[in-house]
Amino acid sequence: MSAFLATLSRELRAYFFSPLAYIVMAVLLVVNGFIFWLIVSFLSDPRASTGAPLELFFGQTFFFWLILLFMTPVLTMRLLSEERRSGTIEVLMTAPITEAQVVLGKYVAALSFYIALWVPTLAYAGVIARYSTVDWGPVASGYLGIVGVGALFLAVGVLASAVTRSQLIAALLTFVILVPMFTFGLLENLINNEIAKQIFGYLNLWQHMDDFAKGIVDSRRLVYYASATVFLLFLATRTLAVKKWR
Amino acid sequence: MIEAQGLTRRYGDFTAVDDLSFSIEEGEIVGILGPNGAGKTTTIRMITGFLPPSEGRVTVAGKDLSSDSVGARGSLGYLPEHVALYEEMRVVEYLAYRARLEGVGRSQARGLIADALSRCLLEDVREQIIGTLSKGYRQRVGLATAILHRPKVLVLDEPTIGLDPKQIIAIRELIRELGRESTLLLSTHILPEVELLCDRVMIIDRGKIVAEGSPESLRANSAGDSTVRVVLKGSPPDAAAILSALPDVTRVEAAPNGRFEVICAGTADPREAIFRMVVERGWTLLELVQSRASLEDVFVRLTTHEKPTAPRASEVVAQLDENAEEVTE
Repeated sequence: MSAFLATLSRELRAYFFSPLAYIVMAVLLVVNGFIFWLIVSFLSDPRASTGAPLELFFGQTFFFWLILLFMTPVLTMRLLSEERRSGTIEVLMTAPITEAQVVLGKYVAALSFYIALWVPTLAYAGVIARYSTVDWGPVASGYLGIVGVGALFLAVGVLASAVTRSQLIAALLTFVILVPMFTFGLLENLINNEIAKQIFGYLNLWQHMDDFAKGIVDSRRLVYYASATVFLLFLATRTLAVKKWR
Repeated sequence: MIEAQGLTRRYGDFTAVDDLSFSIEEGEIVGILGPNGAGKTTTIRMITGFLPPSEGRVTVAGKDLSSDSVGARGSLGYLPEHVALYEEMRVVEYLAYRARLEGVGRSQARGLIADALSRCLLEDVREQIIGTLSKGYRQRVGLATAILHRPKVLVLDEPTIGLDPKQIIAIRELIRELGRESTLLLSTHILPEVELLCDRVMIIDRGKIVAEGSPESLRANSAGDSTVRVVLKGSPPDAAAILSALPDVTRVEAAPNGRFEVICAGTADPREAIFRMVVERGWTLLELVQSRASLEDVFVRLTTHEKPTAPRASEVVAQLDENAEEVTE
């Protein structure tokens, strides 16, 4: 436990000391702020259909995905690849720590930082609550979706970072896996075969987020994120065990 | 304290370490010597649990590295050949992180960190960011991490590399001190260092142990020819011929400035005969030194596979000389 906590706190510290993290944070806030403004001004037009701003924010626009697809690789690319490139992996893995503790420590640090990046967007809900009424249920489930999908995406990033010594390759690899993972589910609407349609439907992340934003929490989806995350982190642990000295 | 049995490591078709077995007792200081590519670092990486052996097993402080890896690693302190550190951290921060990684409690860590900083002469850079430190300081930060948690077994791969002569002396002093507290395995290229520090030496070549024993016993066993160096003032022209005529002398090599290397068979000692002869002739004797077979001779002899005149041997000697000079300066 001590070894896990040591890794976690070191990685968190590394996030907050790196300029990259601040760039990601700034870009995220600017983009989110702009989208939020766009949505609010759209909805405040008397001719617009009625709708909840935060529902649109997380659900029906593609902005959320755009941010997520670009942000995840940047957050995870360094985690394991840099240890191997610089050689710090040698003193790390000769300390009394298991590969699983290393992977988990780094993953939890990335997830914590990711969650910290979204915290300022709570202000949007606060702003709406001041001038209008907010249905807090869908807001909560929307954030649950953000954390769930983020957890899955970051696990992909951690695995990619375990595979290579190069941060750039790790980032590209993450991106190349995430894009199909996201678009794959969209095929649901292009397939007529009933069984295939159901499978794609199960994996349709867009639909997932749409439902989360509306306040629909489907436990099968949470099971999907959790199981896929655990599997990916397990693969990352095995990869690290095999590749650490190469 | 360290027990290796049938340790083997293959990289594809290449066998880097070949069926190595040895055991290091508690409190011993053991040196691993060998030319570049002999398998020193591979062996050390297998002992520290970084590299899984292809065959064989290692136990550290009674714990098997494959079945109780974390336990075995817990009693180890390790300074790798290439010291890699987290560049963005401060020296104290890094040590605090390492202490936590080793499972040292917060209250205890404070004292241990202060101790490691002072022993490795790092007090003046404790608040500096590691990325800004020179090679010598980084090396010492690496050493401080290795000794931080007072491990039972210390493994140091080339500990004095990149240090200036003053630091080398200080670090050697520290290593000797550490040798009183822990079992120490030391790999080095610098032969005088082995003679100065180690109770026992293992010479490794091509992944096998080619010789093992105390520095003295290794020297004694390599019963080669003994050499006496004679320096005569004004280098008398017929000196070489006269010296060769002395009993037991097999060969004389003349060097400039009146220097002669008198090579004798076995353990014969011609110094007395040389002295009398010089006095008889009325020459002036400036130097008369018997050189014992050095560990370097043993090393070169054991790890040279081509003819002694082949480039590789001379390269090795040249490098060793360089190292020796570096150290003695």
